[in-house]
Amino acid sequence: MAKTYQYCVAENWGKGFIEHSESRKIAFSGFPGNVWRVPAHNKDANLWIQKVLGTTKTLAEAQAIVDAEVQAAQAAWDAMPDAEKAPAVENNTRPTDITLEE
Amino acid sequence: MAEYKGIHGTKVQNYTSDPTNPIIGQVWYNETSQTMKVESVTTAGVWATGGSLNTARQALGGAGIQTASLAFGGGPPPAPTATAITESYNGSAWTEVADLNSQRAYVGGFGTYTSAIAVGGDQYAGITESWNGTSWTTATAIPGASYNNSGTGGADNTSGISFGGGPLGIASYEWNGTSWTSAPALNQARSGLAGSGVKTDAIASGGGSGGGTTNYTNTEIWNGSAWTEVNDLNVAVRRCRGSGSSTSALNFGGNNPPKNGPLAATNESWNGTSWTEDGDLNTARNEMAQGGGNQGGGNSISITYGGGTPGDTAATEEWTGGGVPLTKTITSS
Repeated sequence: MAKTYQYCVAENWGKGFIEHSESRKIAFSGFPGNVWRVPAHNKDANLWIQKVLGTTKTLAEAQAIVDAEVQAAQAAWDAMPDAEKAPAVENNTRPTDITLEE
Repeated sequence: MAEYKGIHGTKVQNYTSDPTNPIIGQVWYNETSQTMKVESVTTAGVWATGGSLNTARQALGGAGIQTASLAFGGGPPPAPTATAITESYNGSAWTEVADLNSQRAYVGGFGTYTSAIAVGGDQYAGITESWNGTSWTTATAIPGASYNNSGTGGADNTSGISFGGGPLGIASYEWNGTSWTSAPALNQARSGLAGSGVKTDAIASGGGSGGGTTNYTNTEIWNGSAWTEVNDLNVAVRRCRGSGSSTSALNFGGNNPPKNGPLAATNESWNGTSWTEDGDLNTARNEMAQGGGNQGGGNSISITYGGGTPGDTAATEEWTGGGVPLTKTITSS
């Protein structure tokens, strides 16, 4: 099955990293660990990866990077004293896993 | 059927390169690329990256617009270790300025980058501080010691409204530059909602049921004297943020159901009557700051920064709505 997405790692330097004109052409999804998902087999997406000096990753490699970031956040949450886990701030909840798509 | 010349007064013209200022609806032939082209407008909006915060954090407060914003408070997960950090944005870069007097996360805010209010937060004292463009001054605390005050709106540090948030999630209070006055409550109690506008015109959407697991799609608009239920969001989100007014607004990011569901990149656009799916955030996140529209105005000046992805992010995103001129190539397929 032809893949729908491609992944790369690129550091978001801020202004100009994703331009409005690029966002109109490319469906971006950013994930923890500076992982970016863009359409596969897409000239505009390939040009953007070149622009940001992105390092292409396979799905498995990208998933491993994201997992490491999420697990670090989960571990920090788990290490909290129970008193802090309690809903003193009611929206404070354990980070959830993120699963990337082919 | 009308011909092109009958509508525009001229025949389709040939150019060696695209015209510099085409009129919306204009059609031309590009001899170099051998393509027919038309000048149209975009129908959907998009987010682009802006300058990154100097300190990545979530549950921070925000005020201002795309070219002049203020970020204050917030902290890292899991239980945000609150900061007092304040940063000012000039449209391309953030600069650290004078800290809040009271460090806190889950803080609400409104106003401009030279005249803003920070209200509430996880210190549970409802602390209010007023920003004059240079420094923060402690002001009268908001009743109810609220936190997670993401439902806020106001023109500057002399006029605003706060609604929803913890612990009760229903109360509204108006700010007159000196003190908070109780106002009619939201119909649906909630915290972690998207709220924006000014003292006389605001909108509240989404949010959650406090310690419960329900995410809301409810939308309410404020006319200066009462909240009215209007059409719901398409997706129930909490810990989301928003911008704009009762006639033009956005609701973006947050967590999908259940309470601790996946992070959302979704973005819905409000036209005064209903919500429509619009261009997603480039990075899914929750507990970010909202700017552009929590001082009134439409959604066209929206900006968001910081948040949880789930770790802290420093990333800024700037919104451009639909209606932007766009040259398209006409194809036969």
